[in-house]
Amino acid sequence: MKRNRWKKIAKLGLVLAAAASMLAGCGGIAENTGEVSSRYRENTGSGTGDEIEVRDGSEIPGYDGEPYIVLDGNEPSFTESEITEDSFESYSELDELGRCGAACASVGQEIMPTEERGRIGQVRPTGWHTVKYDFVDGKYLYNRCHLLGYQLTGENANEKNLITGTRYLNVDGMLPFENMIADYVKETENHVMYRVTPVYEGDDLVASGVEMEGYSVEDEGEGICFHVFCYNVQPNVEIDYSTGESRLAEDTSGLEPEKDGAAAEYILNTNTRKFHRPECSGVKAMKESNKETFTGSREELIEMGYEACGQCKP
Amino acid sequence: MGMIVIACVDQNNGMLFHRRRQSKDRAVRGDILRMLNGKTLWMNAYSYGQFGEDDGNFCVEEEFLSKAGAGEYCFVEDQMADEKMIEKLILYRWDKVYPADRRLEFDLGEWKPEEFMQMQGYSHAVITREVYLR
Repeated sequence: MKRNRWKKIAKLGLVLAAAASMLAGCGGIAENTGEVSSRYRENTGSGTGDEIEVRDGSEIPGYDGEPYIVLDGNEPSFTESEITEDSFESYSELDELGRCGAACASVGQEIMPTEERGRIGQVRPTGWHTVKYDFVDGKYLYNRCHLLGYQLTGENANEKNLITGTRYLNVDGMLPFENMIADYVKETENHVMYRVTPVYEGDDLVASGVEMEGYSVEDEGEGICFHVFCYNVQPNVEIDYSTGESRLAEDTSGLEPEKDGAAAEYILNTNTRKFHRPECSGVKAMKESNKETFTGSREELIEMGYEACGQCKP
Repeated sequence: MGMIVIACVDQNNGMLFHRRRQSKDRAVRGDILRMLNGKTLWMNAYSYGQFGEDDGNFCVEEEFLSKAGAGEYCFVEDQMADEKMIEKLILYRWDKVYPADRRLEFDLGEWKPEEFMQMQGYSHAVITREVYLR
């Protein structure tokens, strides 16, 4: 039966596409018998340590108006051997579809950023679309969501750490937990084990949500302890998670999307950070090593930090 | 006359998530103790966990909200006094939103604001001290 891709809610009978084993020190998942889910490891026998985590049995409930829900009685599943007071951060390799897997860290002051965040617009996570809705905070439906928030590990344009996430996921779902960890670490100088696992349904390019786990190390979870799932949804918007396309929810009236112009082909000069029409004379003079073809919207390029060529005025 | 309640809340009046305080800051504790200037501060064992190393006049009782007298200061984190029993409410408001499953349920519009004072925290850029009277 063909399933309806235009679903408002990701109902998650999930296969996690997390190549978790690529994570140094964070591959292990303790077996648990939580309230909402229980998980086990399936070793693919590839010999490379690649593993697939399978969420077994009961499903994560559909979105019901709250940006996050508690999993497994709020108990994170870090094993004793994973928990460390030595700061580190680790990211999964992208899978065959180019999707991010789990990212993990022992967050300490040693790896927290000391300068403002840099540009991340050049990364195009799977399912990325530049689309605006007037009623979305900041207008853009999608943000490049850090799995490990910049304020925790200082990662900028790391493609293994950025997923296509709604504004709602970013601000209402993930940010409160990142804030809690960051301020705890600053106050106590302790460490927090932190793991964020994007959850995809089948071959979807956009995650249905992220599983987030946190555990303060030195005080054994007294300060920070959580295990939640944050929904990658946006109220009043229906998302096709297989592609990232979106549309106004059917039961919404008076709210209109503000879509960007149609996709077109542009030639980028990665050195001067200008973009040109393909027929522009400036393209002919461009060094091949600086030349890159881009298909997408003008607005996306501007968001990526590119400026329009003053001659061909793309 | 009722008690004077001190609490920490986030931008959404959140207080706790899964039985844990949302955040803490030594600058808040210092401000409270300076304000009290030696007067008794009532709290329970959970809150004493963060005040334990501070130099103050603490009275630690699980049922402190029923024992504190009129005009006495109570630091509240994982419980809340009956609104009718409070004469003054002092809130330290974090400058962010944290996860919350327990919030301050009072309608602050029903209270008379007396003071809004911003201070720099140790781990928070801005903390606002808000004082309300019945």
